[in-house]
Amino acid sequence: MRNPHKARKSPKKGRPGFSGVKIGILLGVIAIVSAMVFLTGTKSSNASPKKYKATREIVVDQQTGQRRMPTQEEIDEVVTNLSTLANRPENLPATEGAGGAEMVDLGGGFNGVMLARPDADGGLETKCVFTFEEGAEFLGLVEDISAE
Amino acid sequence: MRKAFTKLTLTVFALAIFGLAAQPSFGAEALIIVVNVNAPNVGFNDPTPVAPVGGNTGTTLGEQRLIAFQHAANIWGARLDSNVPIRIRAQFVPLGAGVLGSAGPVSVARNFIGAQLPNTWYHIALANKMAQIDLNPANDDITASFSTNFNFYLGLDNNHGAQPDLVTVLLHEFAHGLGFSQLANLTTGALFNNGPDAFNTHLFDSTLGLTWPQMTNAQRSLSAHRFGRVVWNGNFVTAGAPSVLQFGIVEVRTTAPAAIAGPVQFGTAAFGPSVASVSISAPLLVALDQIEVGGNQIDGCTPFTNAAEMAGKIALIERGGACGFALKARNATDAGAVAAVIYNNPANGNAGPPGMADDGINGAFVTIPTVSLRRLDGVDLFSGPGVSMSMGNNPTIRAGADELNRVRVFATFPVIGGSSISHFDTVARRNLLMEPAITGDLTHRVKAPDDLTFELLRDIGWTFPDADGDGVPNDEDCNSNSDTSPTIRIGLIDTDVPNMMFPNGCTMSDLLKELQNGGGNHGSYVSAVAHLTNLWVSDRLITGSQKGKIQNAAAQLQLP
Repeated sequence: MRNPHKARKSPKKGRPGFSGVKIGILLGVIAIVSAMVFLTGTKSSNASPKKYKATREIVVDQQTGQRRMPTQEEIDEVVTNLSTLANRPENLPATEGAGGAEMVDLGGGFNGVMLARPDADGGLETKCVFTFEEGAEFLGLVEDISAE
Repeated sequence: MRKAFTKLTLTVFALAIFGLAAQPSFGAEALIIVVNVNAPNVGFNDPTPVAPVGGNTGTTLGEQRLIAFQHAANIWGARLDSNVPIRIRAQFVPLGAGVLGSAGPVSVARNFIGAQLPNTWYHIALANKMAQIDLNPANDDITASFSTNFNFYLGLDNNHGAQPDLVTVLLHEFAHGLGFSQLANLTTGALFNNGPDAFNTHLFDSTLGLTWPQMTNAQRSLSAHRFGRVVWNGNFVTAGAPSVLQFGIVEVRTTAPAAIAGPVQFGTAAFGPSVASVSISAPLLVALDQIEVGGNQIDGCTPFTNAAEMAGKIALIERGGACGFALKARNATDAGAVAAVIYNNPANGNAGPPGMADDGINGAFVTIPTVSLRRLDGVDLFSGPGVSMSMGNNPTIRAGADELNRVRVFATFPVIGGSSISHFDTVARRNLLMEPAITGDLTHRVKAPDDLTFELLRDIGWTFPDADGDGVPNDEDCNSNSDTSPTIRIGLIDTDVPNMMFPNGCTMSDLLKELQNGGGNHGSYVSAVAHLTNLWVSDRLITGSQKGKIQNAAAQLQLP
């Protein structure tokens, strides 16, 4: 038996009158704060995010198949995305759902993240990780102490 | 019909309908809706023209991505039963180098009406299924982001070659979103929001003899690293394991004392015979040597001083000192040991078992297998006299399970070695969809005898679509809308013969109706009924008297 009422749910849309620019700024701030909170391992956003550097080639050119080291911009992009997707905050606030259920929104975290890196045979080696540390280790990203 | 007869004659385990232990069922395949949240012209809406590939008929890149997504969703939808649609909020976006994609639950719930276990967190799609209502109607259930940085194989036929197969990756990640993941913190051991979840409720540590919710935080944190000792205790996975996992595993195992017995995580050497090529079981003896500069008495860097006692034993040696792995192994060989075990020293206390390189000199003199252990396992071996180990191919255990066929989850040290606990162990053979890595030999089939993901989802509370409630999934059911009357009726006559259910999902009444609708004349119908009921008698499913009642009723039936 399919529930026709579920079809009411739709992709999140901005409220009427709430401009795309404002939404963009808000999302940007949320993403930056989330990454900072995760990377510092605290609930505080006072500390600067850690910088990472690459120790192995993880970029494969889609056209040529050539592999290379990631640029700093690419590293930062991976770090930001991995931090958000694999974020596992604790003591998240619970709300009451239908029928008295206790609900917790996971805030976009607690994902399994499938990673890939080039292997010695020219193929791709994959690994699904659940934490930033697991992912950084697999991709050969290490903290860049010289950047501090 | 012929297929049904064949199965029938082989069946001696028929179950009476009223005795059938069918699980509660709502009958419907889960409707899984992929909600495209990409902006125009990107991701799922990318208008780049493409040629059809592997059964994917999309004509643009975006369309093919969406078709592959829905295909993977439909595979799960056909397997799972829910009367609440599951919504996957999906997008294709740049995720950066090395990130293929991700998925997970949007939210979790507990203590809802219909929950199987109290105070236990459930991924929202499963919670909705159990509650039979949408507990969080303002939100979607699973979130999935995949990368535009990769050339995925977008065909639906698994003919992916060297490319990552999008459908396989999606099946894996969707399974995480459906409940194949645990929520506790593996570093501190703390449970998520002070409660167990449906997944870690089934994690059993065979060393401690406890499930994860029964442990303290400290015990859980240690358990997450306990290689080979954390198993899934759910009945469906355990029952399915023999049809999926092959016998035989190359392993190093502590065999005594019982308190520390079990497989250990090990590293291999580039010298000496491989572990796979030997079959050794022997007592362990700590190698003692003279203390060299920068070393100690148990680092094996000089000839052993207890060589007289070492013959026939496995030498236990500490890493470090003023020598490399190969010299330690050579000294063990010279002392008459049958194998060498080198465990991490304090300086490498937080490292996994290392691979051991040859120094170009001593490796050639090593004639015994040499393995490395993490420090914690090495220290355990000092627990007193009577410690023994084995190494080699163990043909009595299925690769990926323990002695009781409980399937191992991936517990390794250090945890950052990859993907701990929320996956099956990488030692599993055949390869499983829910190991940390996607391998090229995976199929798109998610249940035994090809895989165990579906069985695990059943263990945490998912059921399968079963329209007639006979305990057989619709897509495997001989008749998905069986006549489940308690007695066999033919026309208007109730024969009073119990209507039995066969394991393939057909009842006796189903088979008789197939004959009735077979298109033959009355004579051929009665003859077919006689043949069938004779088989049932020979299989001792009915008595001769009951056969007579059925045949009499068939003889009186007016066929159209």
